[in-house]
This record gives sequence, structure tokens and C-alpha cells, in this order.
Amino acid sequence: MTTTTTLTPSGLKNAIEIRDLDFYYGTFKGLKSINLDIAEHKVTAFIGPSGCGKSTLLRTLNRMYSLYPGQRAEGEIRLYGQNILDAKQDLNLLRAQVGMVFQKPTPFPMSIYDNIAFGVKLYENLSRSEMDDRVEWALTKAAIWNEVKDKLGQSGLSLSGGQQQRLCIARSVAVKPKVILLDEPTSALDPISTAKVEELVNELKSDYTVAIVTHNMQQAARVSDFTAYMYLGELIEFGQTEQIFMKPARQETEDYITGRFG
Amino acid sequence: MDKHISSQFDAELAGVSSRVLELGGLVESQIRHAVFALSQFSVEVADQVVATEKQVNAMEVEIDRELSSIIARRQPTARDLRLLMAISKITANLERAGDESERIARMVKLIVEQGITRSLPSSELRVAADLASGLLRKALDAFARLDVQTALVIMKEDDLIDAEFDGFLRKLVTYMMEDPRTISASLDLLFVAKAIERIGDHAKNIAEFIIYVVKGADVRHTARADVESVLK
Repeated sequence: MTTTTTLTPSGLKNAIEIRDLDFYYGTFKGLKSINLDIAEHKVTAFIGPSGCGKSTLLRTLNRMYSLYPGQRAEGEIRLYGQNILDAKQDLNLLRAQVGMVFQKPTPFPMSIYDNIAFGVKLYENLSRSEMDDRVEWALTKAAIWNEVKDKLGQSGLSLSGGQQQRLCIARSVAVKPKVILLDEPTSALDPISTAKVEELVNELKSDYTVAIVTHNMQQAARVSDFTAYMYLGELIEFGQTEQIFMKPARQETEDYITGRFG
Repeated sequence: MDKHISSQFDAELAGVSSRVLELGGLVESQIRHAVFALSQFSVEVADQVVATEKQVNAMEVEIDRELSSIIARRQPTARDLRLLMAISKITANLERAGDESERIARMVKLIVEQGITRSLPSSELRVAADLASGLLRKALDAFARLDVQTALVIMKEDDLIDAEFDGFLRKLVTYMMEDPRTISASLDLLFVAKAIERIGDHAKNIAEFIIYVVKGADVRHTARADVESVLK
């Protein structure tokens, strides 16, 4: 069942190339021989039932798992040709290049302004006015500037859930990454905030490569260009989103997206 | 079609599918009655066919309403989506096949009112008419079983009806040339023949949507050889 062929959509440049990726939680193999290309300036969605490995796969893309002992990845993940699984990879630099937004909004307990400036200060030395520009730019990119421009000094925690999530997206955008990883970014949001985040994803892809994990299949159908269906740690099917939702090639994919028993 | 995690969804899909078959049965009997009315020049039976049309229209509207409701609530994908799309198209084709049978019935009444012209080759139309109504029945059976091989057979048999139509057309022309007094009635029969040929086309369209549901390939306007390769 292991997918050995890697589908590369023709004419597209890859931001990330995953080759023969295995992932272990201690002795448990969470990902099995994943081969997948993530196209530049496109949205790639990972879907599959709980425990299928989709979040695990996302977390390998900026080595978030390195925070936890006993977790390791084998194989190659090439970010613009460079293998990020290499022991010499600078993790701080990697996470600046590959930003991440989580399921629950995680604003820092500081002002809206500092939420954005905090990360930027780690990588760049900007003057006050340059930083002001960067904060406005990031908040504008995340489509929240108009809502917060008059209260930049207020705590990030004072915002609504949907605003907090867009603040977190602004925070990851602020350091000008190449790739943005979204792990269930709207599962804690109401439908209106969800729609705003989805709209934002669509705008972000003109500047960034986006990978998104979602339990909401309709969301994957709405926002993504490519969809990967995973099950029990394997990549079952990968293709253009329209093809996956109209006529998946594999029965397992069809059973999952149509809500049938596998 | 069964075994969704939501058994209610299964029930809805099964429900709307059986409504389509019900509509198909109604249209099929409408066509058979129209053919009978034609062969017997029976105004009474022709009136029945015309009366059934209202029922057919109401069922079409009801099925479309059910489809909209399922799509709104279930956001179907893949095979489920293709099934609902196909049902919408099949329903439209059935309703139009019903329209054709009504057209035949109205022509029968017209021919009778003009004075029965038994000398016309109306009985020859029955061959094509039986073929067409048989084809529609076969299409409904194939839909019920989602049988793509039968669908392919239907597409081939529609070619026979088209050939029958061409042959009949030539015959009518001969009649009209031999006896210009039959021109008016011959033209009426020509419309009937055209209606029968259209019923065959609707059966063929239904067959194409069966292939769409099962194989995910849209075989409309596709060369027969390509359709066959889809089914391999």
C-alpha cells in the first residue's frame, strides 16, 4: 500500500520534497515511507482520520518534534534542496523559514504589537520605525490590521478567538518565512472566523507555501490546491484537490471522504 | 451505495434513487401507452398519456427538491456527488422522454381528428417505438444496478433506433412523392418518429450518466471506442 511514486504536478516548483520519510515515537512507527512534494505558492492539505499521522507529518516539516525526547525522523525532507533533517540544521533558522500556527490560538501574554515584534527581534535588528512598519505589514497580511490598529498596546489575549488566530498567523508571517504550516487552524473557531482564516489562506499563498492539516474535509476542499490522504502512518493518495474530491483513485480515499466505513 | 457512517445519509440516497426509478416506471408506461395509442389510433389512451404528464412534472420537481436538500445538508463528495449529479440529469432526461410521449399522444389525436389515414406506414413506427421504450426500461434497470456494461449496450442500441428513424424518413418521403395527399399526415408521422428517436437519445443519455457515477468519467460527446476503453 506504500506509495512509492511521487506525484509532481507538472510545471510547478517544489518548496519541499519529502523522500522515504519514516518517523518514530520511541519504537512506534508513526510515519511509513512518505514520499511527497509540496508545491511552491500552493496550499497542500493533509487529511485523514485521527492518528493517521497527518499532524506528525506537518510537525516534521519544521522539526517541531525535536522538542520531545524519543521522537525521531529518518529519510529526507528537502526545503529548497536542503535536507532539514540534517543534524547540522540550525533549528531556529528553520523555524523562521517554516512558520507554524496551531489548533488553539497561542498569543503571547503581551501586547498585540509585541506579539508580532517578539519573533522579529530574534532574527533581525530593526529600528523602531522599521519595526512599526513590519508590525503593520504583518497584521495587514493576516487581514487583522483594521481591527487592531487602534489598540496595538492592548494584550493579545484581549482579542476574540478568531482574531487571536489571525494574530498568530501575523506573528508567523512577520519573520517572512518561506512556508507556513497550519495545524487545524480553525477547529476552535466559529464559522465567521473560520471563513476569514480560509480567505486569508487563499491570500497568503501568493507569497508563501502553505501546508494545512484539517479534520474538516470541506475545508480542505475549499482552501487547498493539493490534498494528501493519510491512513495509519501511510500516504494513501496524493493529488489535485479537485480530483481527490471528485474522483479519488483509491477506494480507501473514497470511503474516507464520503464518510463510509473503511 | 450503502454503509455510510450516517445511516440516515444512506436512507436519503436510497430514497431519492428509488424516486427516480418510480418516475422512470411512470414515464415508461406513458411511452408504452403512447405507442399503443399510435398503433390503435386510440384517442382515449392518448388522453391518458397527456394526463399523466402532470404527474411526471410534479415528480421531477419533488426529486430536484430532495436533491437540493441532500446537497445542502450533506456536502456530498466523490461517488455520492456523482450519483446526485447523475440523478439530477437522469430526472431531466426522464421528464423530457415523458414530454416526447405526450407529443406522440397529441399527434395521434391530431391524425385521428384529420381522418384516420390507415394507409400510412404507422405500424412500422412500432418497431422503433418498442425499441425506444425497451431501451428506456433497460436504462432504468442498469441505473438500479449501476451496471456499466448494460449502459454500453444501451448506447449501441440507440444507434439502431437512429438507423430505424433514417429508414422511416426515407419511406415517408417515398409516400409523399407517390401521393401528395398524404403529405400532411406524413409530416405528423414524421414528428412522431422524431419523438421516438428522441426517447432513444434520452435512454442513451441516462446510460452515459450511469458510467459517470460508476467510473467518474464523463463520456458525453465521446467516441464509442473511447467509452469502451473507459470501461475496461
